[in-house]
Amino acid sequence: MSSKTIIGVFDDENLVVNTIRKLNEKKVRIRDVYGPFASHDIISAIAKPSRLPHLSFLFGAGTVFGTFAFLYYTSVVDYPHIYGGKPVFSFPPMVVIMYLATILVTGTLSVFTFLGISGMYPGKKAQMPGIGTMDDKFFLVIDENDANATSAEALLMQHGALEIKYE
Amino acid sequence: MELKFDFKRGWRILFAVLIVIGLAGIIFGLLTNPARAWANILLNNYLFIMLSIGALFFYAVQYVTHSGWSAMFQRIPLAAGVWLPIGAIVMFLFYFGMHYIYEWTHPEALAYDKLLQHKSPYLNIPFFYIRVVIYFILWIGIAWWMRKLTLREDIEGTLHIDKHVKAAGAFLFAIVFTFTMASIDWIMSIDAHWFSTLFGLKNLLATIYYAVAFIILLMLWLQKQGYLTQMNEAHRNDFARYLFRLSIVWGYLWFVQYLVIWYANIPEATMYYVPRAQGEWSTLFYLDFALNFAIPFLALMNDKFARTKIVMIAISLLLLVGMWISLFLQIMPGSIGILQFGIIEISGTVGFIGLYLYFVFSHLSKIPLIPVNHPYLEESKHRHF
Repeated sequence: MSSKTIIGVFDDENLVVNTIRKLNEKKVRIRDVYGPFASHDIISAIAKPSRLPHLSFLFGAGTVFGTFAFLYYTSVVDYPHIYGGKPVFSFPPMVVIMYLATILVTGTLSVFTFLGISGMYPGKKAQMPGIGTMDDKFFLVIDENDANATSAEALLMQHGALEIKYE
Repeated sequence: MELKFDFKRGWRILFAVLIVIGLAGIIFGLLTNPARAWANILLNNYLFIMLSIGALFFYAVQYVTHSGWSAMFQRIPLAAGVWLPIGAIVMFLFYFGMHYIYEWTHPEALAYDKLLQHKSPYLNIPFFYIRVVIYFILWIGIAWWMRKLTLREDIEGTLHIDKHVKAAGAFLFAIVFTFTMASIDWIMSIDAHWFSTLFGLKNLLATIYYAVAFIILLMLWLQKQGYLTQMNEAHRNDFARYLFRLSIVWGYLWFVQYLVIWYANIPEATMYYVPRAQGEWSTLFYLDFALNFAIPFLALMNDKFARTKIVMIAISLLLLVGMWISLFLQIMPGSIGILQFGIIEISGTVGFIGLYLYFVFSHLSKIPLIPVNHPYLEESKHRHF
């Protein structure tokens, strides 16, 4: 909560969704919505597209080629050795290692990337706009510096906000 | 919205022409090269048995998992499973062609072959046909039970879902055991000396995989004709997810079967893969892998791209071609031994396609296209992201 914010407090999920749609029409930037549970409708109404899957795909592709390069270097270039009568460069056993390494590396890198994007780290204190999100209240947070924020206050009251807080 | 599918006269004539072409090709084949013709009959019959079993498997899975999204399409897999009685008839006619395909039916081969003698308590003609009878009684019986329940629902009003779940669960339980055994009997015993414990499971998963592709094609075609107007992007996305997940499983099983045999390097096991991967079949062998795994996997990875109609149609058609190629690879090297592709294969396949689609469409036109009293129908109609 670094800069000044306007916070609308609601107690109904559908009201929040309607308000968000109205605010989107007015081009007001919504910083975030805090609520007691994850709501599919609210997430789709905010509609912040995530580019994380694309990054995950790149991680995966990189791991496939990286693992292959590593295996090729160790088993063919650096230390060619015949095990069990198989040729030095045998592709099928490599596929298993590539497959497993891809799952491991892509999973872990995606998780850490997500944590980095969200600005989270283990042991971080949770930032909450109010204690109500723990029970039954939804908090809709808007930047006060936003150009269209003046119309937002009226909209929040109009669409059934219980109260408006300034922090 | 119309209640029933209208099977127009033009389609009937087209399918009749296809059936006539197929009959002519198969009769010509039986007179000139009977082994090729019988292998082709086995291939096509098994292909459509696979599609039927897979479609009914999909139907049963939707009930067992209480899936709401697919309630609207439940009549399409039900109609796609209509081949089973015809498949039973063709399988009994196959008695006259067994000697051309199966090595273990020859008494002179049994006389000196230790392995065939060892397997003969299981692989002999009477027991083979006893098993065929058991399979088809089970499959057709339980499919008939499921169909009767859903048609009763149309007339009497909504039944409790547990009745459907009971029938569907019985079907799944029966299929997992019997279809794996059936694929071992009909396909794996062509190469009587070779065995793979993965073979039945791989073919069972392939049934569902290709059946979903066929259901997608039928569904999009019906929507183009003006039925199923409630279908939207979310349903297409669900079907595309099915294809994507099953492509991964298919590729995994294909590779694991290959890897274990390649690594162990036992002559009895490698004799199956050496002619296929290194002989004249090698092009088809890699094409099989590309069509059934690599292309669908890469094309369906992005959800937004995968749920466009053009991609779904293209991938489904590719998969059905890939299904034919993979069965061709499983049957022909062991039964005929040389790579032949010509008038017999094309006309036989075309004839079977005509016959199958004729029965599917006539079945679709007999029953209401949308299960109006399905307990989850509303959930399916209003599905959204």
